[in-house]
Amino acid sequence: MDKTDIKRTSALGKYYVKGHYGNVGSSNIIFEEIKPLVLFQIAFWPDTVSELETVLNNTLGTKEIPKPGSSISNSNISVLRVEPFKIWVRGVLEESVCNETTPILDLSHSRTNLLISGKDTTNLLNRFLPIDLRENSFGIGAVASTMFHHVGVTLWRTEDGYQLFLPRGFSLSLFELLLQGAEQFGLEIK
Amino acid sequence: MTAKRLSSGGRIDRAKIIKFTWDNHELNGHPGDTLASALMANNQKIIGRSFKYHRPRGITSSGVEESGAIVTVGAGARKEANVKATTQELYHGLTANGQNAWPNIRFDLGFTANYFSRFLGAGFYYKTFMGIPPFEWGRGTQIWMFYEKYIRKAAGMGTASRQPDPDNYEHSHGFCDVAIIGSGPSGLAAASRLSDTNEDVILIEQDFELGGDYLNHDDKSEVLVQILSKINKSNIRIMKRTTAFGAYDHGTLGLLERVGDHLENPLSCQPRHRFWTIRAKRIILATGALERHFAFANNDLPGIMAANSARTYLNRYGILPGSNIVISTNNDSAYIVSQELQKAGASVTLLDARANLPNHLTKKIAEEGIELISSAAVSEAVGSGRVSKIKFAKITDEKWTNQGEKKCDLLLLSGGWSPVINLLSHRGSKAKWDEKNCCFLPGHTEEPLELIGSARGIWRTDDCIQSGMNVRDTLKKTTCSPSGLNKIADNKGWENPILPLYEVSSASNKKAFVDLQHDVTTTDIRLAHQEGFVSVEHLKRYTTLGMATDQGKMGNVIGIALMAEALNTTVTNVGTTTFRPPYTPISLGALAGRNTNNHFRPLRRTPMDEWNLSHSAIMTHAGLWRRPWYFPINGEHISQSYIREARTTREKVGLCDVTSLGKIAIQGPDATEFLNRVYTNPFAKLPINKARYGIMLRDDGIVLDDGTTWRLSETDYFMTTTTANAARVMSWLEELLQVRWNTLKVHITSVTDQWAGCAIAGPASRKVMEKCVEDSDSVSDENLPFMGVKSTFLINNIPCRIARISFSGEMASEIYVPSDFGHALMNLLWDATKSLGGCLYGLEALGAMRIEKGHITGAELDGRVTLEDAALAKMGSTKRDFIGSALRKRPEMIKEGRPQLVGIFPENINETFNAGSIICNENDVNGHGEGWITAVTHSTVFNHWIGLGFISGGFKNWQNKVAIAADPIRNKETRVKIVSPFMHDPEGKLHYG
Repeated sequence: MDKTDIKRTSALGKYYVKGHYGNVGSSNIIFEEIKPLVLFQIAFWPDTVSELETVLNNTLGTKEIPKPGSSISNSNISVLRVEPFKIWVRGVLEESVCNETTPILDLSHSRTNLLISGKDTTNLLNRFLPIDLRENSFGIGAVASTMFHHVGVTLWRTEDGYQLFLPRGFSLSLFELLLQGAEQFGLEIK
Repeated sequence: MTAKRLSSGGRIDRAKIIKFTWDNHELNGHPGDTLASALMANNQKIIGRSFKYHRPRGITSSGVEESGAIVTVGAGARKEANVKATTQELYHGLTANGQNAWPNIRFDLGFTANYFSRFLGAGFYYKTFMGIPPFEWGRGTQIWMFYEKYIRKAAGMGTASRQPDPDNYEHSHGFCDVAIIGSGPSGLAAASRLSDTNEDVILIEQDFELGGDYLNHDDKSEVLVQILSKINKSNIRIMKRTTAFGAYDHGTLGLLERVGDHLENPLSCQPRHRFWTIRAKRIILATGALERHFAFANNDLPGIMAANSARTYLNRYGILPGSNIVISTNNDSAYIVSQELQKAGASVTLLDARANLPNHLTKKIAEEGIELISSAAVSEAVGSGRVSKIKFAKITDEKWTNQGEKKCDLLLLSGGWSPVINLLSHRGSKAKWDEKNCCFLPGHTEEPLELIGSARGIWRTDDCIQSGMNVRDTLKKTTCSPSGLNKIADNKGWENPILPLYEVSSASNKKAFVDLQHDVTTTDIRLAHQEGFVSVEHLKRYTTLGMATDQGKMGNVIGIALMAEALNTTVTNVGTTTFRPPYTPISLGALAGRNTNNHFRPLRRTPMDEWNLSHSAIMTHAGLWRRPWYFPINGEHISQSYIREARTTREKVGLCDVTSLGKIAIQGPDATEFLNRVYTNPFAKLPINKARYGIMLRDDGIVLDDGTTWRLSETDYFMTTTTANAARVMSWLEELLQVRWNTLKVHITSVTDQWAGCAIAGPASRKVMEKCVEDSDSVSDENLPFMGVKSTFLINNIPCRIARISFSGEMASEIYVPSDFGHALMNLLWDATKSLGGCLYGLEALGAMRIEKGHITGAELDGRVTLEDAALAKMGSTKRDFIGSALRKRPEMIKEGRPQLVGIFPENINETFNAGSIICNENDVNGHGEGWITAVTHSTVFNHWIGLGFISGGFKNWQNKVAIAADPIRNKETRVKIVSPFMHDPEGKLHYG
């Protein structure tokens, strides 16, 4: 965890300007950057599943690892199974909880985390993401790694909407595309 | 053709007037009109000019198969050529013009080409402009190259705007259980059927209104209202103004949605077109059929149209397209057309090529007062600028004999129907010729793709509806067999047999067109045959039959039938060409979507991007990254700037944003073993908090990449790669772990975006670090020696990783902080650097310094270089195996005389040479020479131009010899000396500090 007093700088910087955009009179898309992002990756292997379960149980109070492509959440923390043998923990986690069989990696600065909500969110996301976002295919809690203009991104569906994890270096470029695509629906940046 | 809008009827909104402009004349239409229907209602006869002969053309159909009414819509940057007036929805303010004509389409001087048309047959250009003695004696294209621009100006279709496209376009993805393409009677029936199930259905319609053939009927509107009501209440997603242009693997469809083409003032935030990729579990093709014309003399005169299109104009648009109408047919479908036109007030004569017509047909016709002539068909159209009369012939013993004339202002043709099986054909299914129906029917497919309605040769509306109702509820048993596909067609087909009719020959020498859009005539087809083009594929290319924007929708069957006749064989034996996407033209903008201009490629910014810009950086692109190129002061040119930056760095200290280097976390109990296998040099004994330079080879022993890897703990490493190869290395390592060494307990993760990096280089670099870290003693030479690694904190408790490594050859370090602290890092370092007289430096100075040191980059690692070639032979372990260790020992890889890395000086230090030059022997400046130059720069160390490159045998072969750096492209030769690649500080004393 960062213990510095220096404020973290968003990759979207001055281009993240709150307000209403595009189609006048409607805000069917809402963007909100979730910051500061606290994100850890824990990796494991087939024979270290039980050790990871212990880690999760001890630290997060969760009893099991979510299935690939899904997530579990409690009030403080969310666990996303982003790869068969990698999970992301969004929320505060002490790095000391892990060891060499469950290596941990701080990815808090590696992604820009964007919450996208509103009634046309699925339409907007499918302007860019080639994955099936219908309810029965990608319900609440679902997680997927996918491509956005040839860039690997992670999508997570929550009760509040969809959360996009954009690689920091590409995030402004992809955010600009999202803005362009969202204006036709009416957009609010919160 | 004397068309007129009737006082009632049609589906247009008569209460509203739409004003539009046609060839600079303001005309009126109504909502619900197409441009073609509005032009027809305004009695416009000549709408286009033909491709080659500039013959006048009118409206020939009511849909995508249109071959005559092809126009230019819009103006300025939004000018779009070759728009089919039959599919262009009318809107207020629409501007349309005729094209391929001067001064206008009614009087076109280009029509003089028609008088020379007997010389302009198939192959004219090849025969006339290529290899013509005495200029070229059988081969050569110089004459063609000279005349081509004039020919292209005279021929061709419309002209595109030369201005940048001001509109937006976008892509979109969609998913469904069932995609129904076409909303005619069968498509709507299928949608209605599936609306009762749990299937997720998308209904796709290219028109702006649902209904397909229902819209052409005068008595089906109630049925349509009912079925649409049911569908609208269901969960079926409806996509109007959307064409399914291509079918691809695994139920993937390409669609083009025309979002703004019908709007007077489209919102600027809306795209003009949307390119959809739909992935469906199964596809139902209810794409209908297109009515064919047939060939006879002057069959392209304005006032000649497909018979059922007249029904469309009558019932959908409320237009009576002619008052004195002749219909020439070979099948039943024209009968209802004749009756409805007669009822609407026209005087209709029906010519039916068939001899023995059943009573139930003839009786109805007689009751309506329609003159019916059997065994007859039109043989010639007569008129100037429009049809005014026709000659007709009767058939006896398969020969046509002229029988008489009929005055008329509209001639309607029905030569049979061609099912729209293009999308099935895209999937590799070969169409089969069906003698009974005189058309190509769908062939076999193993894909989850069904055809219903007239797309599979079902002609009666009720049968089409039934075929739609018969679609399966679920994906089960969706595989279609040939018998299954054709079953209904075989059983029902035409109620009364159709008569094959592709051409009515006559003694007239007038042109008879097969493909109206490309001006391909029956004579062209026969000429091609005479000249030996017997394959349908060759026929197509020689005559250009089917190569216009309608892709042979109207003419292909006629052309193939004529070829079969010429070959004295069957249509089946001639076969058909393969339909390929797109079914109808797609705008290039839609293909590009939003990926244009700044978003052509995604831009990757470092966390210091804004900081660099605010410190006067001139940026450049390195792969997808945007990086500082140089930092000019007081208007410096790049050459002045980078030389100052390199000199200041070598003399004092400089800062460089190195975030773009690839960074990979390698974690797990087997991480060390993994690195030992991947790198050519050993990593097993690398101590914690130490870094090591490493080289990776490909399997074939060629150098893949280089970089440093830092050991953070027993099981945790931090690997850096070159900027250029970061993604390639990541993929390569992942492949090794997943495919070859899946028992190794190692995980790799890209952390390039997690860390912002800055190189501090120069004699004063330690002083800069001392000013910036919390504990200045932690960066002393003792605590942080060369190749040492330290995880510590900068001032303000900013966590960081520091490694004493050097790319410039000076004493240097790279500092990495979590990316969101990139700005803070630069502020901190820059304050300290400025106070010591240091500078910021960019890629150009970085490159200059690495060339002086002989450090390799992607410019040198071009996929041909071995360790030995790159002067890195010592990096290859001889005691253990690693990736590439076996194949790097192949004879060709270790033979004497391979090009090896060298430094290059100009013999005259005032001269320069270019990167990319070939290095040649002094007396043999020829061919590929002895080597090549990869990088050049002005050296602040030597104060003259230097370079890096490769030359046969390397430095030892060329010591004290002069070579020539030859740049034949720029016509430059420079005498150069070959020197050691390690030009500056070869012992490496400086980087130890």
